[in-house]
Amino acid sequence: MTEPLLSVRDLVVEFPKRKIKLTALDKVSFDIYPGEILGMVGESGAGKSLTGAAIIGLLEPPGHVASGEIWLKDQRIDQLPYEQMRRLRGKRIAMIFQDPLTSLNPILTIADQLIETIQTHLPLNDKDARARAVQLLDEVGIPAASKRIDDYPHQFSGGMRQRVVIALALAGEPELIIADEPTTALDVSVQAQIIDVLKRMCHEHKTAVMLVTHDMGVIAEACDRVAVMYAGRVAEIGEVRQIVKRPQHPYTQGLMGSIPSIVERVERLTQIPGSMPRLDAIPSGCAFNPRCTQKIARCTQDRPELITTDQGQVSCWLYDGETP
Amino acid sequence: MNSFTSINDKPLLDVKNLSCHFDVSKPWLNRVIEGEPQRFLTAVDQVSFSINRGETFALVGESGSGKSTIAKLIVDLIHPSSGEILFDGQSLKNTRGEAFKTLRRRIQMIFQDPFASLNPRWRVGDIIAEPIHAFGLAKSQNDVRRTVEELLDKVGLAGRDRHKYPHEFSGGQRQRIAIARALSAQPDFLVCDEPTSALDVSVQAQILNLMRDLQDEFGLTYLFISHDLSVVKHMADRIGVLYLGSMVENSPSDQLFIQPAHPYTRMLLDAIPDHEMSGRRRKQVTGEIPSPIDPPSGCTFHPRCEFADEKCKQKRPSIHEDQGSLVSCWASEEKRIPTTPKDSQ
Repeated sequence: MTEPLLSVRDLVVEFPKRKIKLTALDKVSFDIYPGEILGMVGESGAGKSLTGAAIIGLLEPPGHVASGEIWLKDQRIDQLPYEQMRRLRGKRIAMIFQDPLTSLNPILTIADQLIETIQTHLPLNDKDARARAVQLLDEVGIPAASKRIDDYPHQFSGGMRQRVVIALALAGEPELIIADEPTTALDVSVQAQIIDVLKRMCHEHKTAVMLVTHDMGVIAEACDRVAVMYAGRVAEIGEVRQIVKRPQHPYTQGLMGSIPSIVERVERLTQIPGSMPRLDAIPSGCAFNPRCTQKIARCTQDRPELITTDQGQVSCWLYDGETP
Repeated sequence: MNSFTSINDKPLLDVKNLSCHFDVSKPWLNRVIEGEPQRFLTAVDQVSFSINRGETFALVGESGSGKSTIAKLIVDLIHPSSGEILFDGQSLKNTRGEAFKTLRRRIQMIFQDPFASLNPRWRVGDIIAEPIHAFGLAKSQNDVRRTVEELLDKVGLAGRDRHKYPHEFSGGQRQRIAIARALSAQPDFLVCDEPTSALDVSVQAQILNLMRDLQDEFGLTYLFISHDLSVVKHMADRIGVLYLGSMVENSPSDQLFIQPAHPYTRMLLDAIPDHEMSGRRRKQVTGEIPSPIDPPSGCTFHPRCEFADEKCKQKRPSIHEDQGSLVSCWASEEKRIPTTPKDSQ
């Protein structure tokens, strides 16, 4: 097997409060391989976006990486000095945010923003940088790119803006793109187009993507592997087909069952009782145990580590020892 | 689905040729100086549909297709430019006084964002009790308290939660409060404008199940607005598809998914992500919804339609009936569309 591009090991992110420390990410471990799209799913507050922010070094203080390691190839990046991290951002790891309107500067033309980004990372003169910018816009599917490059962000529609943001992310030819809910603000019809662009670009440029989303549809369409997050922990990692068709963790099973099906009509949706615990009240043992229907005695006492089964990795005691 | 439907075969809500225009012109003086005409945005364009008692009717469409405008028109938050809305045989426009108040009580609304639709300075109990006071539905303070506690219990919260403030609840719980508030007016008809799109899927499942249960218990009729077709499929008996303010198709739910009649409906269905990985190929959607200020001529969908011909570009399609569906499309009327689109790929 090839070496992972990004390796996250036992990552812990803490937010110190006046008296207590909130552990927002608790021993998160996963790998991303070159050219792969890894999906991160979970409910709001599960720590999906936070994982992305921790990798690219954009945690909002007082949040900080308390322990654990993040490796980009053979470089450890979780403790880099600010200046070195700044140079890495956009060049080796790029980010796509949810709302394309707020991630573009409204008073600069698309050309200004793209050329600035290109010249920051690549040694090109103005003319070449502009040619490269047009080429990038063309690649992400903006019609009449050489004309539209001098437009302002407000002159583009939502879907087109997100294409521009993807072009911006690709400008520095990064090895990894962290896409944080890139299609959430868009209509389904436009969403399909954007996912397609993202997939095609990654394939052509051999860029790995960490796709953070709460939309299982997007995951099923775009990803190779999926990590399911729950209460700041990884519940399950596996091939996308395995997660969708044969989820192992009881939480993933509940999550998949709660999505209304387009193929068959059921009278009632499966619902997971209760809601995700708050960060200051995470139960002992497995964080999911109070809501779990298959709970055993051990679940309330010991926290399960990621157990490797023949279908992937799952952190659930049901899979300890023999595979049921 | 409901045991006590269609005792009365008259529709509960009847919308006839409803249109709504918004004036988006520049100020008068600028218009005179620059010599520009007035400009109108047609948000809703001659939409007609009816909803039977106990039924769930869904409106789907992309952003800007006029779904929410129709919701606001029905609850009388904005007034139509033309057309008529009949609720239980009575026109909203022509009713006044006590009768109007009763109509308003019978139609309630649930909004999309439960963080914006609850007053943060009010206790939950007061929020839910307001319609009870406004419509004089309880005799004493004790009655009000009992009703509020019953409602909280019905929507899956505890009676003592009435002392809390909205910020103490999660998104899903707040939506439950919003539902309890809508129910406190004892309505027959609920307009639900994207009630679950701000929620996570697991919470969405809880709310959808709750809405189904309440419908069975109180015999409610829903107008359900959503952009998520899988949610709509789960909830609706009939579905209306909107495109640029006009209704392009109005079909029974099952039929719409098996045999969509309008090319736009097909496009929407093809765009649904295959989260079950059933092997259904997702087709690439071409183009985007045009501006409603300057819509295309003839059938507004023609620039994106693969079946469009000269007639579609010039003449607005009339509504025709096709196996229980009401479709507004020339190609469908003239049978120019191959019947089994799903197998053609």
